[in-house]
Amino acid sequence: MSEPVIMMKNVSKRFGSFTALSNINLTVNRGERLVVCGPSGSGKSTMIRCINRLEEHDAGTIIVNGHELTGNDRRIDAVRREVGMVFQSFNLFPHLTVLKNLMLAPRLVRGTDKASAEAAAMALLERVRIPEQAHKYPAQLSGGQQQRVAIARALCMNPKVMLFDEPTSALDPEMISEVLDVMVDLAREGMTMICVTHEMGFARSVADKIMFMDSGEIVESAPPDEFFGAPKSERTKMFLKQILAH
Amino acid sequence: MADLTGWLDDYFFGTLVVLQVFFVALGLSVVFGLIGAAARLSQSRIANGIAKVYIVVFRGTPELLILLIFYYGIAVTLTNVARYFEPTAGFVNFPPFWAGATAIGLIVGAYMTETFRGAFQGVDPGQVEAAQALGMSRFQVFVYVRMPQMWRLALPNFGNHSLSVMKDTALISIIGVQEIMFVAEMATTVTRKPFTMYITVALIYLLITTFITISIAYLEKYANRHLRGSR
Amino acid sequence: MSFNFDLVWSSLPLIIQGLGMTLKLLFLSSLIGLFLALFILLLRISGRWYLMWPAMAYIYVFRGTPLLVQIFVIYHGLPQFDFIRESIFWPVLREPFGCAVLALSLNAGAYVSEIMRGGIIGVDKGVKEAAMALGLPRWQQFIYVTSPIAIRLALPAYSNEVVSMLKATALASTITMMEMTGVARTLVARTFAPYEIFISAALIYLALTYALQQVFAWIESHASRYVKKER
Repeated sequence: MSEPVIMMKNVSKRFGSFTALSNINLTVNRGERLVVCGPSGSGKSTMIRCINRLEEHDAGTIIVNGHELTGNDRRIDAVRREVGMVFQSFNLFPHLTVLKNLMLAPRLVRGTDKASAEAAAMALLERVRIPEQAHKYPAQLSGGQQQRVAIARALCMNPKVMLFDEPTSALDPEMISEVLDVMVDLAREGMTMICVTHEMGFARSVADKIMFMDSGEIVESAPPDEFFGAPKSERTKMFLKQILAH
Repeated sequence: MADLTGWLDDYFFGTLVVLQVFFVALGLSVVFGLIGAAARLSQSRIANGIAKVYIVVFRGTPELLILLIFYYGIAVTLTNVARYFEPTAGFVNFPPFWAGATAIGLIVGAYMTETFRGAFQGVDPGQVEAAQALGMSRFQVFVYVRMPQMWRLALPNFGNHSLSVMKDTALISIIGVQEIMFVAEMATTVTRKPFTMYITVALIYLLITTFITISIAYLEKYANRHLRGSR
Repeated sequence: MSFNFDLVWSSLPLIIQGLGMTLKLLFLSSLIGLFLALFILLLRISGRWYLMWPAMAYIYVFRGTPLLVQIFVIYHGLPQFDFIRESIFWPVLREPFGCAVLALSLNAGAYVSEIMRGGIIGVDKGVKEAAMALGLPRWQQFIYVTSPIAIRLALPAYSNEVVSMLKATALASTITMMEMTGVARTLVARTFAPYEIFISAALIYLALTYALQQVFAWIESHASRYVKKER
């Protein structure tokens, strides 16, 4: 059960003179659900973008599914296939229909044949509850629908881990729950997940562990009850007060 | 290189002619562009229609053909007019310099029209409203609020259009203006070194267009100075 | 000084004979130019300095000098060198047609590769990252995700470039090519009726420009179908 999927050891990352990550140590086991929160600029996004090497870390070790991340291109493609990612701004391919957005990577990367890729894509669209939108283009969907398509697109590759980078931040309030519902389903099915989000209700109900980051450091990391009930650090308390105030 | 030495002063004076045509044509293109943009933005359907035809015709016809129409057309017209009064009058020649500069000015003016119009409309309407709310007159809004923001928006395209003006000046050798292409042709007949002579023309143009590009980049930096982060 | 319509009618068939050559020049040079542009583009975005620099120098030279000068350097200039007259390219470079196509293609290659690069720069970074995150190798990201979007973004500029190339074919008349402008110029020399003949030619160019724009408008609307909100 405690098989590590992601391990980060002393990971650091700078942008010029700005320290984005300093000495991050983190282990995520199979089936574990981690929620990361913190003020903007605290390094949350940078951290999960390092996991599939959208950002390169400067120092330390990152091991994903047993592969250490280095500059080797072929290896990183193999790692990325096993790691699904959902972006804040959806980043759907605007020139492809919903169905084709889902089928593109399985067909190209996995060499899946058209019929089974389409069947799998339709099944996933059922799962995110928008099969009727399959033949529309992303621009024709609402933000919530687009984000659910983006989740389905990531799931098409049968990833071992899912990374969510503030998946609901760009959404209108009435659309947030439809996306969170899909994410809760996913958590119930036992998917290993790292979610950067400020949706504390979601965090409380699904997270195994909540992590608070500030200035590129992990300030506190604890199970939800302890995190919300008895935060140790002053910075965490301040943050929780602000975010739970509204 | 030795072949060039006797011709350097000719190239120099030819370059001066190119620069003269450039500045006259560029000035005219701005004038035609502003008139065109004003017509396109006006309420008058007639003015609007004329401006549209102007743009379509001058952007859709080869530059060389427009130049030839201007040069020969004006000459024939003037000759006919002269002969109407004095039947024995000879052929009237129109100075090719002015025919060329006007033709280039009209061609590039058609492009300037759209650039100026776009820049005018590109200014945030909220800016204009805010200025009007402060009690500024229409004229003041235009001069103090719209214009300063407009020229920043128009500058990148304006830069490209001035490069077009410069490159179009090469055409006027065809109607007999004695600029650097003409010098190269003369030098070739004497030295029998056409490549040397024409590549010199190319290098002179490259030098001038580089200078224009750098100047525009500098102007753009100046125009956008208030957009840079305050630090 | 009246406009002689009979002359227009009698000269139109002759000018239209030149149309075939105009279209041949346009078609060949845009095709070769497109391949050349793609090649230059790949060098330009390769990320390796020893590939990027030659591409940048090429673009800089061909965009910084007038096309007419380029045509003259190739047609009049290259025969200065014995090794060119003895090379296997001589049969092509000896003919004005070969020189015109070469100059127009080289010129188009520089402009079109910059248009393509503009399209690629315009592709949303997030979409590229999404392709990366799915584990597509670099070349698949380029072919299946970046290119289709970049082509849509680049089409309006490309359409303008093809119209520019149509107009540029008129310059072939300066090296004795009998395309539309060349035919018109010989007719004017014979009849000395510049208005009638040049304006007839201009009308055919305008019709061609219009046709090209319609074709590209159709392609653009087809390529942008996924951007529209609802069908």
